Order: sequence, then structure tokens, then C-alpha cells
Amino acid sequence: MKKDFAIKNQAILEAAELVLEEIKAVGADEGETWVSHNVLTELYYELGKISMVRTVFSDKVSIKLLKDKRKGTVSLNSFNPADIKQAVAEAWQAAQSAAADEAEGIAELQENLSFSSGEEKPDLEQMYKQLTGLLEDTKKDFPKISFDTIGVEHDYSERLYANSNGVRLSEEVGLYQLTNMFMAKDGDLTSSFNYFATVYEDPSERVTESERVRRILDDTERQIVTDQFEGSFVGDLVIMPGCLENFLWYIGDIYLQDSALISGTSPWKDKLGEQIASPLVNFSLAAEHPNLPGASQLSGDGYVAENMPLIEGGVLKNFSLSRYGAARTGLQRSANSGGTFVFDSGETPLEELIGGVEKGILLGRFSGGEPSPAGDLSGVAKNSFLIENGKVTKPLSEVMIAGNLADMLRDIAAVSQERENSGYWLLPWVRVKNVTISGK
Amino acid sequence: MLQDHLHDFVKKYGFTGYTELRAQQNRNRAVSMLNGSLVSNSSGVSKGISARVVRGGAYGFASATGYGEDLDAISQVVNAASQNAAFLDDHVRRGEPDFSPVQPFTRKDGLEHDIEVEQSYLLGIVDELDSYIAERFPRLLSRRVFARVLDMEKLLYTSDGVVSHSFVPRSNVYIFMTAQDKDGQPVELYKVLGGYGSFMDNFKTAEEYFDKLEKQHELLMQKAEGIYAKPGIQTVILDSDLAGILAHEAVGHTVEADFVQTGSVGGPMFGKRVASEKVSLVDIAHTAFGELAPVPVFVDDEGTPAQDQMLIENGILTGYMHNKESARKFGHEAHGNARAYDFSDEPLIRMRNTCILPGTDKLEDMIASVEDGYLMTDMNNGQADSTGEFMFGVPLGFEIKNGKLGRAIKDTTVSGVAFEILKSADMVSDTVTWTNSGMCGKKQMIPVGMGGPAIKVKINVGGRA
Repeated sequence: MKKDFAIKNQAILEAAELVLEEIKAVGADEGETWVSHNVLTELYYELGKISMVRTVFSDKVSIKLLKDKRKGTVSLNSFNPADIKQAVAEAWQAAQSAAADEAEGIAELQENLSFSSGEEKPDLEQMYKQLTGLLEDTKKDFPKISFDTIGVEHDYSERLYANSNGVRLSEEVGLYQLTNMFMAKDGDLTSSFNYFATVYEDPSERVTESERVRRILDDTERQIVTDQFEGSFVGDLVIMPGCLENFLWYIGDIYLQDSALISGTSPWKDKLGEQIASPLVNFSLAAEHPNLPGASQLSGDGYVAENMPLIEGGVLKNFSLSRYGAARTGLQRSANSGGTFVFDSGETPLEELIGGVEKGILLGRFSGGEPSPAGDLSGVAKNSFLIENGKVTKPLSEVMIAGNLADMLRDIAAVSQERENSGYWLLPWVRVKNVTISGK
Repeated sequence: MLQDHLHDFVKKYGFTGYTELRAQQNRNRAVSMLNGSLVSNSSGVSKGISARVVRGGAYGFASATGYGEDLDAISQVVNAASQNAAFLDDHVRRGEPDFSPVQPFTRKDGLEHDIEVEQSYLLGIVDELDSYIAERFPRLLSRRVFARVLDMEKLLYTSDGVVSHSFVPRSNVYIFMTAQDKDGQPVELYKVLGGYGSFMDNFKTAEEYFDKLEKQHELLMQKAEGIYAKPGIQTVILDSDLAGILAHEAVGHTVEADFVQTGSVGGPMFGKRVASEKVSLVDIAHTAFGELAPVPVFVDDEGTPAQDQMLIENGILTGYMHNKESARKFGHEAHGNARAYDFSDEPLIRMRNTCILPGTDKLEDMIASVEDGYLMTDMNNGQADSTGEFMFGVPLGFEIKNGKLGRAIKDTTVSGVAFEILKSADMVSDTVTWTNSGMCGKKQMIPVGMGGPAIKVKINVGGRA
């Protein structure tokens, strides 16, 4: 919810104002600070039992100051005025030794605003019920699933961005999150690890009512006994939504974000407005979405974030650049440089999407090496199934895939009508042609 | 250096039931230059206290930022942890007994290495290294020099009477160089310098690393001319850096007792052959081959005195890594593997310095023994699985044809099932090297050391058809 600027915890505002006063007092030209107070409440399950309740109280302050475009940054976790003064002095010292960088700066004056979502106080009893409910439902419906860990968390934070141009932006968020790691077991036989993470506002929801959760648990139960094959072939990948998220992170890193564009290694650096992917690709970053509570409306460098397309109809529409990245490259600052991914639905029903594969893999998880700056990547297909003549035939292990991210985007042949939602992302299944798939 | 206010707290209030009380400070610094521009120039301190209380087998944990002489603030954290333990104990009624007490002791380790480095010193070294690269290799597409310091200081008091104050410094410089191959595609190679110790100890001058920069550039040029590896099972010599990550990812994670209890492949293999008899693997606590290990742990965060943990002895799986709870469950002895990253983190079962012990073979003889295969020399990330299947990224390697090294290979990934790969190990070199820059992720990040000799194995390579 957007509203006029207001801070609930005055200690945050006082700390931020002190930082800005000190920045001015030491002689800096300009500066900015993030100040936050967080309370994390966690209920944790491991080794077959609910093992721990954990509460973490934390105050954080990060400071950046500039003198003649020379930068010093410091972080600390104390609102104590003496600690803050010392931290600003350290940032000042660091700036003295730094080289000037004309691209440095801070956010320009804009409307001061606050955003809020969720509840401040956790409902620990409800969290306990949700966790025991997940365990009961899993035992009944998916008896071979063995959880390694489950964390049910409530994370509350109030954070403020303030700078010497007068910008004041704050966000107060209290969200629940469920994380886990599990496998399926039958005697001494074990599936690969699998997981699902989800973020939400209401802890009374039954986790296993989610179709996505049920699908992942069911898939994992069917992956205890796997097949391998010999040799290699070039075939199709059907990438499941959670795995697609993994690839989209890589694409951001290699092609779209500050580092790749500043260094000049991004193969897309001159491709704005050009067709770089299949026309079926419509991929955007969300700042506000009714079904994605994990989206943040503030950028890391002091702007209100907006929903922003990256690729539309396969055409590169925007990079994901911070203020600094834009100034360094001469490109435009992006309206969103976050990580809440939305990939539009396609027109192909999932069954038909798989049905169109002569030979390939239904890829649940990718365990791979860091892609090269050219976008080359290779790794192991985890939690995956073989597809033959349009049918999912058997679970696989010890299978590797290799390809190039840009080629894969160009080779997307179908996007599913169906999508899954983790609270952080909203993604479909996609079918990619021409990927090298190798067995033992 | 952290002042000892916990002593005053314990003297005044004591403990009620099993409790670990820890004050901790992680100091970090980072300086990063990208193509000559300073993109990061930061320092930070994460300081606070935490308490973990156990009631009837239910754990309560609480932490708060700030740590000082205010004993009431410490008391509030201990009380919050006690309330959390009480909430859970009320709900689960597990009724487990407290851990058997250990003999009280007091230790101080590494405190003499608490040497604060000035940010300007990091900037100076990074600038010199960057300038050297820019001057010597002007045709590079991009270059990045990134210095990082992480100093971890912990002060632990337990209800058993254990007092441990430790300081572990780590400082690294990462050098990334990117060139273009004949098709104009970017090709990158990175190297990590430094390890255990203060930045000033590890980087007395930039000049002493210039030879390494020359070598890195030479290898990058070879990689730019390189080829893609062939896919499928290949004969591969994993050089020592890769053997270290093999020890960590492929085997280490499967024999952490928490993963064993949830069903990792290490469970049913205890006491059985999991590797060729040439392979022995140990998780070293603090001292290896007469020297300090990369990440020395003398007392873990549960107050257990740290000892080496043998994992595989001449091919037989002989041990797991434990915390107090898993050691009691298995009837084993805990050897100090319970570690926490930040003050706000609870101890988890973690590796320290996993190392495959050296064999008797010479690397050149190993290369000469391969008719058609690869020598893989560099690694980046890696992942393990409950099935024992692992992968790691390989940014550099070389063909071996008829016993001789050939062309470089471009980025690839290798994978396999750990115990099958180790059973295929038929040659193990006589020289161990360590890496000390890795962070292992498992709920929390944690610094780990990895070591090993070169080993010759059959392994799956993620190449291009």
C-alpha cells in the first residue's frame, strides 16, 4: 500500500537524520543511507522433528558519501550515535583514498513516500499449526517424502532510504515465508533433493492446497528409482517454472545488469530494441503485483520501482540498470533493477507443449556451473524426466545438458498457458529446442 | 577486539539449564575495480550476541545487534531464547535429557592476528594490480580486481563452563580477466589470491603477484583459442583444486550427520568401501601437515574441542561429521563440526577443512598415463545431492592426447556419483594444495578450506556434442 511518507519507528528516522548531518559535517558533497529494523521469527524443523524457535532482532545502517565524486561506503548494525559518527568518519576516510568516478551520485529529489504490506507481529501459534499441517498432509498424501529441513518464518522490517537531496522513502513489510529441502525415500533408495519456497501474507493457508506444492512433492516421489542412458543427443528441454527462475537469474547477470554492461561483456549491449529472443518471450520485472507479495517497491539506490518489461515479443525493451550503471554506460536508468520475475503465459496447454517433444527432458532443477560471460552453460539435470514421443516416460539421473543462454531464448518453441506462483515469481513452462543432452 | 562482558553476565546471573552464549563480530572490507573504475569501496561490521537454550530437546535461539557492558541487554537475549525453548517444549514435550557435560576449559586462539587494515591499503594494492593488468594487457575486453577481507571473532560461554575466544582472519584478492575469442565472444578466467591471515600479511606488496597475473593472462589466451570438451564419461585428472572441491561437495556433504539422518547416500555405506584404497579423506580441525589449516577451528560453537574427523580411510567410509545432538544419537564422539556464520546464526553441522590425503604418484606420470582425456585445473561453484551425485563448474582445463597436454578447453561442468568416481581413482599425486576462499552455503554461508592432491578418475563431462 502506498501512502504519504511516515515512519513508525522513530529511532530509524533519528539514525538516518544523524547520518546525513554527519555526512554534511565531515565535509562530504552528498550522501545517502539505508536504515532498517528487522525482527525475524523462525520455526524450524530438521532431523524429523520441530527443533527450534528462533528470534533475531537486528538494526542495520548503511552509509555512502561522496566528495568530489570519490566514494566511501560503510555498514554497521547499531543505531548508537557514537557508532554512527565513527562509521561516517570511516566512510570519509575511505573516500579520501578513492579515485574520482564521474558516474557516482545519489537519487534526485522526488516525492517522499511510504509503502507497507503484511503484519508486524508474527502469529507463532498459527505458524506452528501451519508447519504441523504440512507434515501431517505430506505423511498422508506423499508418504515417501522425507523433509531434511523446513523453515516457517515471519520477517518484519521497517526500512528507510534518505539522502542529502531530501529523498525519504520507506517500506514496512511483514511477510511469512516457507523454505524447505526434502527428498523421497524408499528403503535405502533416495531421490535427489528438491525444494519449494513460497512467500505469503496469511499463515492460516494450508501449504499442500497449492497445486504447485503438490506437483513438486508428487514429482519427487516418482524420482526415487531413476534411469540413465548412454551417449548424447540434441533434443528439447521443457523447463519447469521453478527451474526457469534459475535461468532468468543467469540471463539478468550475463546480459542485462550493471556488471555485464559496465564491463562491456554483455552480448546484448548494443541490442536494445532488437529481436534477441523467440517472439513467444514476454519477460518483465514486477514492483507491484496482486499475486506477488515478495515484490519490492523500492530500488536499492533510492527510487520507487515500477513494473518494467525486459523482453516483449522477443524484443529487448530494457536493461536492468541502477542509477550508477546507467551513468557509467550512458544508457537509461531502469525503472526496476530487482528480481521479481513475471513471464507471460503462452498459448500452448502444458500437455500439448510436452506432447510436441520427440525426444528431450522435462527439467525440474538445474545444478550447473556459473555460465560464462558469453552465456555458455552446462550442468546436471536434476529432478527431471525423459520425454519420448510426446510422453513423459521415466525419471533420470546422471544426465547433463549444455547450451548457450541467448541461443536457448531464441530457440523457445512454446510457452505454456499454465503458470506457477511462488509469491516471488510467476512463471510458465517453456520448451527449448536444440540443447545438447548427454548421459553416461 | 571484543571486550569480555559475558564473564560479568555469567558471574552475576549464571545459566539455567543447557545454554550457549556467544558474542561475535564479523568485520568485512571490500574494494572492487571494474575496468579501472572503483565500483565498490566498503567496510562493515556485524556485531551482536546470541543465546541458544535447550529444554527437553527443544531449542530456543535469540539474538540481537549491539554488544556492550549492558548486562540487562544480554539478559534479555538469554530470556528470549529461554522463552522460545519453553514455547516449543510446551508444544512437543520431547522430554530428552540435557547433553552430557564436558570438562570445563578456557582457550584463546588466533587473537594475535587481530590486525586492522586501513581501507586505503586495500585500495592501494587493488589499484596497483589493476594498473599492471591495464598496462600489460591492453587488449583485454574487461578486467576486474576485487579485494575482500573477512575477520571472524567469537567469544563463547557455555553452561558447561567452556570459554572460548577466537579470531580467524581471511583476506583474498580475486582477479577476473576477459578476452575475446576468434568469434568475438567473451572468454573469462579468474584466479584467487591470498587466504588465511590479515590483508597486510597476505599482500605485503602487489608486485609479488605480478608473475601470477602474467600466468593468468597466458592461460586466458590459451582458453580463448580453446575448444569445447566432448560430452560423456571421460578419463580426467582433477588437479588439486578440483580434488578439494570433490572432497567437499561430492563426499563431505553426504557424510554430514544431519544429511545422513534424512537419508543421504552416506547412511547405508558406513563401514563399506566407497572409494579405491588409494583414497583417504579427512575433515581437518585446525592443523594439517604441521601447519595451520586454512580455516582453523579449535573449539566449535557448541563448545566442543575440535579434532580431525576421519571420513574415508583407505577407501572405507569410517566417520560422519557431528554436532552434539547427532553424536549422541549415533553413539559417536563429536569432533567440533557445529559452526555458525554470524552472531544471529545457530550452529549447524559444517565442514572445516576437507582434504583428500596425498598419494605417491607424480602429476607428470599421471598425465603420461592418459591416452585420451583431460586435465582439469580450475574450478568455480559446486553442488552436492542426497544421492551422492555432485557437479562443479570447470572454467579451465586441457586436452590430454597420447600422454601429452594439448589445447585448452572452455568452460564446462563435470558431474558424477561421488562414491563411483572415487572408486575409479587409480592414481593420486603426492602434493596437496589448499584453497581458502570458498564459502559453503547450507542455510547460512560459512568459510571452508578445501584441499587435495591431483587424482585421476572417470567422470561425466558436460561438453558439446
